[in-house]
Amino acid sequence: MQSLSHIGIIALNTFRESIRDKILYNIVFLAIGLALFSILLGEWSVFDRAHVIKSTTLTIMSLSGLLISVFVGISLVQKEIQRKTVLTLLSKPISRVSFIVGKYLGLLGVVASHLFLLTIVYYLILFLTHSSPSLSLLSAIYLVFCEMAVVVAVALLFSSFSTPVLSALFTLGVYFAGHLSNQLLEQVQFVKRMGEVEGFSSILMEKMAIVIHAVFPGLYRYNISSYVVHQIALPEWYLFWQSLYAIGYIGVFLAVASWWFNRRDFL
Amino acid sequence: MIQIEGLNKTYHTGFLMRPKKALFDIHLNVPKGIIYGFIGPNGAGKSTTIKVLTGLLNYDSGKVQVAGYSPRVVKSRTHLGYCPEQPYFYDYLTGRELMSFYGRLAGLQGVELQKRIEWALNLVHANKDWIDRRLRTYSKGMMQRVGLAQSILSKPELLILDEPMSGLDPMGRRDVREAILSLNQEGVTIFYSSHLLSDVESISDRVAMIVDGKIVREGSIQEVTSSCSVQYHVRTGEITSNIDLPKGVKASTQSGEWTCEDAVARDLFIQFCLNNGISIERIDHHRPSLEDILTEEIARAES
Repeated sequence: MQSLSHIGIIALNTFRESIRDKILYNIVFLAIGLALFSILLGEWSVFDRAHVIKSTTLTIMSLSGLLISVFVGISLVQKEIQRKTVLTLLSKPISRVSFIVGKYLGLLGVVASHLFLLTIVYYLILFLTHSSPSLSLLSAIYLVFCEMAVVVAVALLFSSFSTPVLSALFTLGVYFAGHLSNQLLEQVQFVKRMGEVEGFSSILMEKMAIVIHAVFPGLYRYNISSYVVHQIALPEWYLFWQSLYAIGYIGVFLAVASWWFNRRDFL
Repeated sequence: MIQIEGLNKTYHTGFLMRPKKALFDIHLNVPKGIIYGFIGPNGAGKSTTIKVLTGLLNYDSGKVQVAGYSPRVVKSRTHLGYCPEQPYFYDYLTGRELMSFYGRLAGLQGVELQKRIEWALNLVHANKDWIDRRLRTYSKGMMQRVGLAQSILSKPELLILDEPMSGLDPMGRRDVREAILSLNQEGVTIFYSSHLLSDVESISDRVAMIVDGKIVREGSIQEVTSSCSVQYHVRTGEITSNIDLPKGVKASTQSGEWTCEDAVARDLFIQFCLNNGISIERIDHHRPSLEDILTEEIARAES
């Protein structure tokens, strides 16, 4: 019970600290600007305007969430260590696990607020442009949130043992690997089937693609814009299973981050 | 309250993680209810020992107990207050907001929290108008006071302070000294490190001296200072420079001043003066201070 209270206090403090970060506002305004720009894109595009606005805005949500995780999230733990505020905090009867989980939830709160704001802007644009706003879009936004929940955990994991620059690069790497791992596996299997690569190279390539696909979180699962935009029905229980998938990865990432943070010395 | 047996700590630094041993077989025992001073030069291992006690550093080997628990266990910090050297806090908060943050982490709420904040701020003379300003505008002395106030907010049984008086003006030092004494009278055990040896000498019940990661002296102030022999300073009339002085007698920096390293040397020198018709103007005895002993230990370690 005491641990939950500690997590809540640290999360609230992290949230308050993050919303003072100027980088956050730059990202939020950039995202809103790009969302508004999607109206023009819709006009210029040869495709249906509503489709362009919907898919572009969902991509903006995902990318801006990634930027927040990288530029705000990564510095959170490092700032505590570099500014030595961690010394007084961890000398209190607080476990390092509570510290990591509190930081995670605080940052997730920032990302959730950002997505909430963008959702309002998103629906406003759809209403104003008569682009058939539907409630089914919320499921796509919910999955963007799940994706960001995983990315924030990745950012926190790397920032618990690495420098901010390396953490940012690793997080971006995991994000893109997570989005492309499925395509990579499909491509490698296609090439193998077509017989363009044979023998040991073919086996090695396929094994590597399988490992990458298995190890990195499959973030491509959270991009359902084509389903939503074209109003295709999602498989049954899709949201539930993807939520569970995200929770599993978040649990693993936070457990590793806490384990590593426990081993750290604070000078 | 604190038991340390055979504590060893090694840092691994640089890209190649080169080992550098910081603490060598440290043994310390801090009984409940006393003020314990921990002194030593810069880089001797004071802060390392303190950070091991507060669970901020892991250690290689040895047994460490804080209030009956290993510092690796969260419970060891339930009744612990800690103020680091040059405390750093969230500078976007005001002093009072910061106290409230730490108070809530200590499980305090509502009226009790407010009362406790007032109590802590009053004790360190920080209940002034600047406490409602943002921490980024604070001077070093203000920060030190707030740091001390946050460490006592939970009314800990054990208070660990790392250089609590560094950077403070004489008034600030006096306030901190008084706060330490007042808390100790309420039964709080205080373990603190300091460079200000005169302050350590005046308020500590026991001291430990650490040099190059090893405890070189430990005991009450009386025990530590009496372990060194008393020196004698003799002032005489003029002595020609080409005479042979008795063993254990050295010329001081000032002309006509002589230092006898013990009572035997003093007696030999008096006899020498009487035999040679040299007038003795004054004889003083000098018991070494903690500073003298520390200087001697540092010189010994360097040699």
